[in-house]
Amino acid sequence: MDKKTEAKVDDLIAGLWKKNLPSLRERLDLLDRTAAEATSGTLAEASRAEAHSIAHKLAGNLGMFGYPKGSEVASKMEHILKEPTPDKLVTLANLATELRQSLAAGL
Amino acid sequence: MRRILIIDDEDDIREVAALSLEATAGWDILTANSGATGIEVAAAEHPDAILMDVMMPGVDGPTTFRTMQQNPTIAHIPVLLLTAKVQGADQRRFAGLGVNGILFKPFDPLTLAQQISEILGWKEGSPDPPPPLPST
Repeated sequence: MDKKTEAKVDDLIAGLWKKNLPSLRERLDLLDRTAAEATSGTLAEASRAEAHSIAHKLAGNLGMFGYPKGSEVASKMEHILKEPTPDKLVTLANLATELRQSLAAGL
Repeated sequence: MRRILIIDDEDDIREVAALSLEATAGWDILTANSGATGIEVAAAEHPDAILMDVMMPGVDGPTTFRTMQQNPTIAHIPVLLLTAKVQGADQRRFAGLGVNGILFKPFDPLTLAQQISEILGWKEGSPDPPPPLPST
């Protein structure tokens, strides 16, 4: 692939990232709230299911935008939210922080 | 020109896949945000291949694929499943469905077209298959 095409794809991806930033920020806020509820032991089933779906989506798409670490962290959150146990749920807060840090350059 | 149908409920995935395949391979892209809509688009447009997410709300990718296989007008269209990285057992289960290949998310937008071409045996620069002969 020539450099011009690569640059074009990179520009298009960057534009899409920018366009979708509001949605991404909402998703990160939701994961933060979920992590806080998990830490305080007040996580409801509906919240867990929604957060699981969001983490799954982020695991699948952050890497496409050049954030492989973000996909990796979101995948860890997805697995915890899929089959939660009390000792794993308390790690969500750290992972939510790690997720934001991994995306810091683009937020 | 190749025509690819992308079926995924996630806007980001459809958009990135579409723009990458258009920009890197010059392919014509069709999209659908559900399995049911994907079947309708496939039947109406007869794409050269279908790229389909596994986990979708409502009707998932494997179920959509099985429904397509029961429709003789679209059963021949190659299908590639798009999924998060999975365990070996899941890979074998997906492969056992009879799909043509499995691609993993997150994919690299710069190499997605190349991966699809390699799986389907499409040679870059080779001419498209000739159109059907006119009926007499």
